[in-house]
Amino acid sequence: MVDDDIFGEDFLNLEANHQKEGFDEGYRDGLVAGKEEAKPTGIKTGFEVGEELGFYKGCVDVWNSAIRVDPTRFSHRVQKTVRQMGELIEKYPIMEPEDESVGDVMEALRLKFRAVCASLGVKLEYKGYPKAASEATETSF
Amino acid sequence: MELVKELREIQTLQGHTDRVWSLAWNPATGVAGIPLSFASCSGDKTVRIWEQNPSTSSWDCKAVLDETHTRTVRSCAWSPSGKLLATASFDATTAIWENVGGDYECVASLEGHENEVKSVCWNPSGSMLTTCGRDKSVWVWEVLPGNEFDCVSVLQGHTQDVKMVQWHPTRNLIFSCSYDNTVKIWADDGDDDDWACVQTLGRSHLVRWQVPSPMSGSGHSSTVWALSFNASGDKVVTCSDDLTLKIWGSDDTKMPADGFAPWRHLCTLSGYHDRTIFSVHWSRDSIIASGAADDAIRFFVENDEQDGLVDGPSYKLLLRKENAHDMDINSVQWSPGEDQFLASAADDGTIKIWELTSDSC
Repeated sequence: MVDDDIFGEDFLNLEANHQKEGFDEGYRDGLVAGKEEAKPTGIKTGFEVGEELGFYKGCVDVWNSAIRVDPTRFSHRVQKTVRQMGELIEKYPIMEPEDESVGDVMEALRLKFRAVCASLGVKLEYKGYPKAASEATETSF
Repeated sequence: MELVKELREIQTLQGHTDRVWSLAWNPATGVAGIPLSFASCSGDKTVRIWEQNPSTSSWDCKAVLDETHTRTVRSCAWSPSGKLLATASFDATTAIWENVGGDYECVASLEGHENEVKSVCWNPSGSMLTTCGRDKSVWVWEVLPGNEFDCVSVLQGHTQDVKMVQWHPTRNLIFSCSYDNTVKIWADDGDDDDWACVQTLGRSHLVRWQVPSPMSGSGHSSTVWALSFNASGDKVVTCSDDLTLKIWGSDDTKMPADGFAPWRHLCTLSGYHDRTIFSVHWSRDSIIASGAADDAIRFFVENDEQDGLVDGPSYKLLLRKENAHDMDINSVQWSPGEDQFLASAADDGTIKIWELTSDSC
């Protein structure tokens, strides 16, 4: 005669119960670890965005001051592009990192920044700028 | 009576000490008694200016433009007036040279690309300049008085190295071709320097405001190296590492001046090349010349014996010149002027001048 209990519900659910218990425990740990991980990542990303925006803002402010001093030294196009950069920096949804426009605004800023630098003939570079082809080192024709 | 075409070699020009990448005929020469002239650029970091001697008809090197670019000069282009020469280099700069009585002076250097500049071209009026390069971007520059250049726009869209840019002969459109296997068409949205990609000719080319067309899948399957417009500007030919040439067309003539008629694939010329096709150029009398890595030059013309209205145009091989050079041919260019020559530039460091003759028999 075999004890009924061995084939009872508890026995049959043994695997499922353990799995559930393990999952709950893992989920709790994961939440804690995830939050801990997210914090430095958020700080890092936020800092990077702020640093890059700040860099462009600094350039725009200096250029605007120079334009006020002697507008004749800057082409209309350069003046306009600097103004557009200022508008883009204002527009950047800095408190809403999940806003889908962040990437587009930053990309537009980078392109306009390059255009102004090229027109002015100055070599300014934001150190954190992700280079398009920095990973490629092979010869290319 | 049948016309037999023959390619006759006129002269081999030596001088460059490394592979010759590209050449450009001066568009203001070969007419009104001005001797034909062209520029060539090379891995030896120099640009050479060649001119035909009116009395002997032989070609001589008139000037060497050196000590400016610090790396390979990959591309060169004359302004429509023939007064300015733009040269694009792997040193990330584009130099502008002014012809002052046969002496060439570097009057400007355009800096902006992150690394290698691969191609440069002028717009038909000479008021704008376009460059492209390994940083995947296309740059539009405006020519200002006093040899100043303003950057109008930096265009991003290609996902790889951009190999060549060309301005449409009559429209305000820029065509660029790339290592990402596509050709992109860029248009100015208005008067606000807002250049944007309006169409991508690729494996599934989409017009920005159109749903995918049944033409999908007709684009190149490997690097697009070069492109060239026909004389009227309603067709463009592209050449590729996928060993084909493709002809694209647009109903341009039906459009208002500021409208954009989408380009569509008309036909593919395959089976003629077995190595990469690096260069293609459409002559003003409708002969397509191609230069490839198999050292041969080929000529194609539209096949008018066939009913072109049903299947669209088709093209046939007119002539194939094997062993035109000892190594890869990087550039083929038809000359301006009454007597049309073809110049070819190759990895063997030479440039050859050819004449396509037709004998009646």
